[in-house]
Amino acid sequence: MTAVTERPRTTDPVLAPVAAPPRRRVSPERVAAGLTIVALLGLSVVALRSVEIDPARMLQSWSNAERFFGRVGAIEFSPLGELLQLTTLTLGLVICGTLLAAVLSVPVAVLAASNTTPGPVWRAAARFVTVLARAVPDVVLAMVFVLLFSLGTLPGILAIGLHSVGMISKLFADAIEQIDEGPRTAVRAAGGTRLQQFTAGVLPQVLPSWVATVLHRNDINLRGSVILGYVGVVGLGMEMSFAFKSLDYGLGLGYALVIFVLCVVMEIVSSSVRAAMLGVAPTGRGLGDRVVRRATRRRTAGASAAVVPDAAAPVSVDSMLRRPWDRTRVRNTSWGAIAVAVVVASVLVCDVAWSDLVTVWSGVPAVAVQFWPPSFGSYETSTMVAAMGETIAIALAATLLTLVASVVIGSLAARNVAPSRGMRSGMRLLLVGIRGVPEVILAIVLIVVTGLGTQAGTLALALGGVGLLGKLIADSFEEVSAGPERALAATGATRLQVYAGATLPQGTRALVGHTFYMLDTNIRAATLLGIVGAGGVGYYLLNASQGSNYGAVTAIVLMILVTVLAVEGLAMWMRKVLR
Amino acid sequence: MTPHADPAAPAAPSAPGSAAAPAEIVVSLEGITKRFGTTTALDSASLDVRRGEVVVLLGLSGSGKSTLLRHVDGLERPTSGTVHVLGREVTALSGRALRELRSEVGFIFQQFELVPSLTVLENVLTGSLAAVRGPRLGLWSYGRPARAEALARLERVGLLERAYQRADTLSGGQQQRVAIARALMQRPQVLLADEPVASLDPESSDQVMALIREIAVDEGLTVICSLHQVDLALSWADRIVGLRHGAVVLDTATEGLSKAQVMEIYGRVATSTGELEAIELELAGAASATGTGSAAGAAASGDAVR
Repeated sequence: MTAVTERPRTTDPVLAPVAAPPRRRVSPERVAAGLTIVALLGLSVVALRSVEIDPARMLQSWSNAERFFGRVGAIEFSPLGELLQLTTLTLGLVICGTLLAAVLSVPVAVLAASNTTPGPVWRAAARFVTVLARAVPDVVLAMVFVLLFSLGTLPGILAIGLHSVGMISKLFADAIEQIDEGPRTAVRAAGGTRLQQFTAGVLPQVLPSWVATVLHRNDINLRGSVILGYVGVVGLGMEMSFAFKSLDYGLGLGYALVIFVLCVVMEIVSSSVRAAMLGVAPTGRGLGDRVVRRATRRRTAGASAAVVPDAAAPVSVDSMLRRPWDRTRVRNTSWGAIAVAVVVASVLVCDVAWSDLVTVWSGVPAVAVQFWPPSFGSYETSTMVAAMGETIAIALAATLLTLVASVVIGSLAARNVAPSRGMRSGMRLLLVGIRGVPEVILAIVLIVVTGLGTQAGTLALALGGVGLLGKLIADSFEEVSAGPERALAATGATRLQVYAGATLPQGTRALVGHTFYMLDTNIRAATLLGIVGAGGVGYYLLNASQGSNYGAVTAIVLMILVTVLAVEGLAMWMRKVLR
Repeated sequence: MTPHADPAAPAAPSAPGSAAAPAEIVVSLEGITKRFGTTTALDSASLDVRRGEVVVLLGLSGSGKSTLLRHVDGLERPTSGTVHVLGREVTALSGRALRELRSEVGFIFQQFELVPSLTVLENVLTGSLAAVRGPRLGLWSYGRPARAEALARLERVGLLERAYQRADTLSGGQQQRVAIARALMQRPQVLLADEPVASLDPESSDQVMALIREIAVDEGLTVICSLHQVDLALSWADRIVGLRHGAVVLDTATEGLSKAQVMEIYGRVATSTGELEAIELELAGAASATGTGSAAGAAASGDAVR
């Protein structure tokens, strides 16, 4: 009561006799969740110290880098013809892999969605496939398939295809669960079978989001193809890894630049495809969306008027049987034709040895025996556990750094927080720019600058993460209810007080959720960055694979799998508790 | 409203104003009770509908109208009681036989339930799915005869020139007319309409109700339509069935209703005295605007018989 008496309101005789308010009951689960967050924060601080991020040393190494760049000379490129051939090969391989995943994800998603699954057992099985496909890194799949098929494009296609099923089918299942059941009921009421209900009532509703997901995944796979090159998947990534291994840094950085440009171009293309084919306005997710939105802004104003046909023209059933070649049909047909052409071209470019798919099975038992039983072989178990710990430390430290930077940048990029429009646009642009750089490329450049080790990996993840987490934070801050903000502003609060008193408390839950998503992503990424020399367990993974020590590969993968699933489980639990 | 002991030989028709030689009964519900958990949506409701009748189910939201309609199409299974439609026991049907029955019963929804991203023509064509085998993707997969029929149905509802537009570019009234064309594509014998005009403005409501009535007469369809507006029911129905709390509380022909009977309909459907008073006030206002009260009542019932 003593605290209350400070308030002038309590002099009101009506309020005076009120006793101490009943204490808010906090569920044990929420207490546990809070403690977990505190513990993770503490661990992250410890991890940050352990990954040896040292500004003084970095400054020092910056002069190293200058000397280094001076020594390797300017960035060089391989001949244009070879570069073009490698680029088309990489693109074709990635597109084929994504397409494979897109096709495979349809049945998985249908079984996993609560409203289309034939039964709970099917649903559980499909969810398991989804989680497993996401948890096994595509690099590991590629290692196995390279062993099975030797060279060629099939290992890459299969690795990308099987791994991507996880994300695509999860998002696709979510989309199916969110449909309007009405049209489906209408088909059911008209006597349609279950399959017809799906194709006529469900599929048309989810198709746009499915296509958008597949295009988005294609962008991710293109970035990931870099690292696949390190384990023997043909394309730009493999040439880059060769260049770096033979210490030809100029050429390696040249390939890195080409891949970066390719990623940006691909993002622009996939964004325009989404905009044009689906009639979905770009919402500002990335660099591509920005360019497309600016380019199409003027056109869309005139286009909407052309939808309504000329009502005066006489129509009959016979004349309408032939669909008029109006703007929509021309557009749809040409996009369809382009899509088919791209798919056909991709398959042709990949020059898949289809017969391998038949002959490979005879080799499976021999390879399987090499991978089983899991054993660390010549490695000490303690070394392996320490390496895994290092990977987790990289992920935790990177997440902490990302969080701090993202809260600042993300807040300044939110419309309702930014002090000026210019500041907001600048910060948004910065986030988009960061997101354009593949993390692996970032790591490779950082390794060149700071040397091999955890520092490069941590900084690469932390920097790359800001692009995503900053954007997510900015978006969720913009989505908070404006009422409390206005109320505080009306009482004469300063901008900072409004931010601390209204915006931040409303956005905290989303902030925690996004940060756990970031941690989840970082753990997966941290296991792989070691492959390019950025510290952690990935280094041993690559070593074991190259030394044909496949028992160790299995053991390391199992270790990664357990960690990834544990973190994912933790993230799911936190989301549930804090909902 | 006692349930019939033998569905094959039903008792005297429940509609007293029927013609001398009554048509066959095409829809027969006997003592339908439906519970969702602890709530009772239908409470031993019984109803017989003869071929060619236009029956309006009248009642407030939550009175069980939608649930009753969904039982006719086999979209819901009753907790107890039986449903006979077109000589078949719906409650005993499953698989192909159930789908066949559904294809003979058209269903029109309050929210139209078109697929917004598909063309109008493709939406109409989905009405013919039961007549074909397997899934269909895209306009051209349905074949030319089906497309021609769908276009003819669209012409019937006055939307032929909209065939290749996306469904979501149409107004609410137009979308409901597309939904009617889709139902006609099934070549149904019975048409069920669940609050078909509840999401429409008054003008579109009249157009859609007129269209349903017209088509019912032209094609000899049996129509069961749920509404919550008494005035609409009086002007479009041959027969009104009132529901309250899942039970049938009223079953009467609209022909030659007296003012007192109309008032009684309002009274039976209303749930509280307050509501009743409000209705009476409104009626009195309408009556004083047009002339004497009884004349207005007679006019209303006169409209009901076309």
